[in-house]
Amino acid sequence: MRRSLILAGLAVLAVPGVALAQAPAAAQQGSWVGPFAVLVAGFAMAFAAGLCALGQGKAVASAVDAMARQPGAAARIQTAMIIGLALIESLAIYVLVVAMILLFVQPIQ
Amino acid sequence: MSAIEHPPIFRLPGIPDHVTYTWLVMAILAVAAFVASRNVALVPRGMQNFFEVVLEQFQQMIDDVIGAEGRRYLPLIATLGLFILVGNLLGLVPGMYGPTTNLNTTAACALVVFFAYHYIGVRKQGPVTYIKHFMGPVPWWLKPMMFVIEVISHLARPLSLTLRLFGNMVGGHILLAIIFFLMGLDGLIGWALSGNPLGAVVGGIGGLVMIAFTVGFLYPLKILVSFLQAFIFVMLTMLYISGAIEEAEHHGGEPHPVHH
Repeated sequence: MRRSLILAGLAVLAVPGVALAQAPAAAQQGSWVGPFAVLVAGFAMAFAAGLCALGQGKAVASAVDAMARQPGAAARIQTAMIIGLALIESLAIYVLVVAMILLFVQPIQ
Repeated sequence: MSAIEHPPIFRLPGIPDHVTYTWLVMAILAVAAFVASRNVALVPRGMQNFFEVVLEQFQQMIDDVIGAEGRRYLPLIATLGLFILVGNLLGLVPGMYGPTTNLNTTAACALVVFFAYHYIGVRKQGPVTYIKHFMGPVPWWLKPMMFVIEVISHLARPLSLTLRLFGNMVGGHILLAIIFFLMGLDGLIGWALSGNPLGAVVGGIGGLVMIAFTVGFLYPLKILVSFLQAFIFVMLTMLYISGAIEEAEHHGGEPHPVHH
């Protein structure tokens, strides 16, 4: 089961290169980077979004817990929570910027 | 980006779009400020009332974060906040272009903040004391390493301010563009109108669901994100300024928290 999954993953990763290798006349020299850039952009955003959601979930859980215990301090806790969420989210935003560079700017052809 | 987003309706030839729409934001804010302060009354009404409430919110935040001496930085902070907020919201109007969805605009705002808080810190403490505080309360043999780390962390601040605002805005715009593309005449609605009976059922229902999703969820979410990003930019600016001017007070105390 696991080995077949790994094989399927390898096959998916290999396909863009194979597909372009079969039509070298149409594609430019060395342009196998493009399809890999699309794949990497999607996977990078998926990993970043998932891990960012884990981190933000922990932060929000602690903040809501603290607000339930100390309703008087809710406003300050909320401010601190929003700043913390922004700092956590900026890491995922960096990945988004890198993904957009890979997709739209395409510095490496 | 122009591959999936429609260019704005109004363009000036030879001038980049983000500059044109930055001028539009400036014009909106200037006209609003002029209307608000045209005849200032003791009992505020209309526009003056609205702006007093908005500026009191900024002042409240400054009092909470920097303290009473931060009130002199209200013009800088409130201008940045209002500019970014109006810029974010302008990007949501169909046919318009949000200036904050361009890296140049956000980098300009972040660089203004970067130089402003260093200038404020140097003017408040003097250059030698200010630079000494980069070394932190550590033993002397750790100070060179601490200095390098602090300098890098300070240089990372404008980068993170820039990319956070830019990435949030552009990410939301790409999401909206893709949703519109999926439900538009090339997508579900086009399928519904193509005369195919299956397409009429699936495309029609799917198109209605997508329209409800966009109007009921995505647009309110984008408006929330616009306010939130302006708030966070302003909040981090205030934290940086308070970090630059507060260090003089507890000289050599416990290490201050580093904000990125």
